[in-house]
Amino acid sequence: MSAATTTRTQRSRREARAAALFLAPDAIGLTVFVAIPMLLSVVLGFFWIDGFGNVDFIGVDNYVRMAKDPQFWNSARVTLIYLVTLVPLIFVVGLGLALLVQQRFPAVGIIRSALFLPYVVSMVVVSMIWQFMLTDRTGVIATALSAIGIDGISFLGDPKLALGTVVAVTVWLQMGYYMIIFLAGLQDIPGELYEAARIDGASAWQRFRSITLPLLAPTSFFVLLTSMVAVVTGGLDMIFVLTSGGPANSTSLLIFYIYQQAFLFGDLGYAAAVGSVLVVFLLIVSAGMFLATRGGRFSHDD
Amino acid sequence: MPPDPIPRRRTVLAGAAAAATVPLLSSCSASRADRPLSFWNFYSPAPQQDPNLVAQSDWFAQAIDAWNASREREISPVYMTGDQMNQRMPIAFASGDGPDIFLISPGDYLRYANGGVLEDLAPYMEQEAIDDFYPEALTTRRDGEAIYGLPMEQEPLALFYDPDLLEGAGVAEGDLPQDWEQLLDLSARLSSGTITGLVLDVDPGYYQNFTFYPWLWQTGGDVVDPSTQRPVFSGEGAQAALDLYGRAIASGATPRTRPANGDIVSAFSSGYAAFWQTGVWDVSNLRLNAPDKHFGVMPLPAPPGKETITALGGWAWCVNARGADPESAARFVVQVLGSMEPSSIEHVAAWNGPVKGNMPARASVDAALVASDAFADEHLATFHDDILPTGRGEPRFPPAVYKAVSDALQSVELAGGDPTEESDRAQQTIESYLETYQGGTLV
Repeated sequence: MSAATTTRTQRSRREARAAALFLAPDAIGLTVFVAIPMLLSVVLGFFWIDGFGNVDFIGVDNYVRMAKDPQFWNSARVTLIYLVTLVPLIFVVGLGLALLVQQRFPAVGIIRSALFLPYVVSMVVVSMIWQFMLTDRTGVIATALSAIGIDGISFLGDPKLALGTVVAVTVWLQMGYYMIIFLAGLQDIPGELYEAARIDGASAWQRFRSITLPLLAPTSFFVLLTSMVAVVTGGLDMIFVLTSGGPANSTSLLIFYIYQQAFLFGDLGYAAAVGSVLVVFLLIVSAGMFLATRGGRFSHDD
Repeated sequence: MPPDPIPRRRTVLAGAAAAATVPLLSSCSASRADRPLSFWNFYSPAPQQDPNLVAQSDWFAQAIDAWNASREREISPVYMTGDQMNQRMPIAFASGDGPDIFLISPGDYLRYANGGVLEDLAPYMEQEAIDDFYPEALTTRRDGEAIYGLPMEQEPLALFYDPDLLEGAGVAEGDLPQDWEQLLDLSARLSSGTITGLVLDVDPGYYQNFTFYPWLWQTGGDVVDPSTQRPVFSGEGAQAALDLYGRAIASGATPRTRPANGDIVSAFSSGYAAFWQTGVWDVSNLRLNAPDKHFGVMPLPAPPGKETITALGGWAWCVNARGADPESAARFVVQVLGSMEPSSIEHVAAWNGPVKGNMPARASVDAALVASDAFADEHLATFHDDILPTGRGEPRFPPAVYKAVSDALQSVELAGGDPTEESDRAQQTIESYLETYQGGTLV
């Protein structure tokens, strides 16, 4: 073996060791606080557990019960509607805002900060403020609508409107975060491409469709994936404060249903089983997204 | 003895699950033999400086200090909010590290009783003290001769009203609604602009069910017949009570969300609500936080031709049978709440009187309060003389029964559901659940 090869091997080992050391804190944290609890939660789904030390293996009974449980299916339906409306809205609004604040104009920094600000406020506080604003008859929104002759709308008390209201508040809350991510993606796109397109006579829409969107694909993939996971696994605080899952279960997301089963009803095994189904759903959708994009790689990266 | 928990096959896998649960849920704890007994509550030590909350905190502290001064096994209060307690209790009990003493409402009672974690307090009590508790206060914490919790209060529901607002609409206090129909008619007439006629609870939860039961009972209906333990929710009474809630919303008498986020002080002070169904605790709340606001209290109107009935809420102290020292904890609870010693009666009278301002759960405490003219306040007098005697203890139902009633109520009230269909659906759910239910009686 030549001296050069030995040096390369040693360097390669050192790099591997350094990489392992850098990755270790995250890997250990993920294993202890995510992977192991996730596996244990799957195990708990096969038990009846009352939370007082009484445990009984019941096989797939929790899953059979779930299949027959109308409240589970209602929550699954609500979660699906929430997911398919919220993720595209977050995507479009986040991207739209990023395109707007990408421009250089006076006070752009302040506007960017203002749009991001809701994201750093506690979700409980945000939810309470919106609850005040959306109160029937006396809330600021009801008062404003009444001034223009629109009365009797109950944004949080009408089952037909409550979920849409939660979606709107969530978009308002999260749009700043996704705006920042899109902004970072936009700033990575070389300006020469736009310049060349302009010289070739491309319109703004053509430049957006042919340059911005394709080159934003990795960022878009990241936003879609993370927002989907955040939407399905988050939102508990907001639902807890804004609607308590009501009116008439119209905002009872699966994550809220799991909370109810575990913490209010003490049915930990069933809650774990529902949680496992949710995790499997997320894994399947995420895997599908990775497969469709060849592991998140896009043609211009190749 | 606690009621037998649901029969279960112990298996190796059960052990595996328990083992799997431990690293998830357990927390480090000091040696159980040495540490003070923990008392989880939402009063003490108070994290705020509000004089009323400080007085309540001090009441707990005095009871604990008196015990700690004379006993080896100390008690240590742990404060948390109600929501925090809801979230932490299941985790703590699942990891075998539940509090030694804690507060629970009837809504939660059966879960803990059926889980076998409540210590029977009867062996630590004199018969005279047991008989001193009003049956409606103690029944929902008993199983046969055993007593699994001692109530510290009774909190009846009533209808609070704003006389100024009513007067402005031409309604004198002598013309207050006498039955459901009058209440709905008047409330619908009053509802306009920012004014709400009648505030009923709208958020799904144990509290909403608690506020619904009096309307249900006034019809002669019930969820479960206490004598037969069979569900009776598909009866005409339940349908009428559900229909009342549906009509209240549909007629515009009741809003779909409560004014001022459910804060009666703000709502009454701002003239936002004419009638509000709430409990005795709001007498002192309004007195302290809106001392200039004139308000009235009346019993809940009944259906035409029926008698008024109310529900009695309130919290009980329970002892963890699997705690570090259940015997000492039980003796502490009995010394504070369930003894015939004059000091115990005086201390509880202070709670139900000047400190909290609610209704007593014991005859001797009631006598002490009457003797000290504690019900001189006109609203407390209404509660004590007119409303409390019509009370029935908040029922203890397992979660599945609570949820079936809640779903029916929410559907009829807020989603236009048909009362007959919804009561039938709830009835079927409860019937199906009770077929395999084993545990404490549903009363």
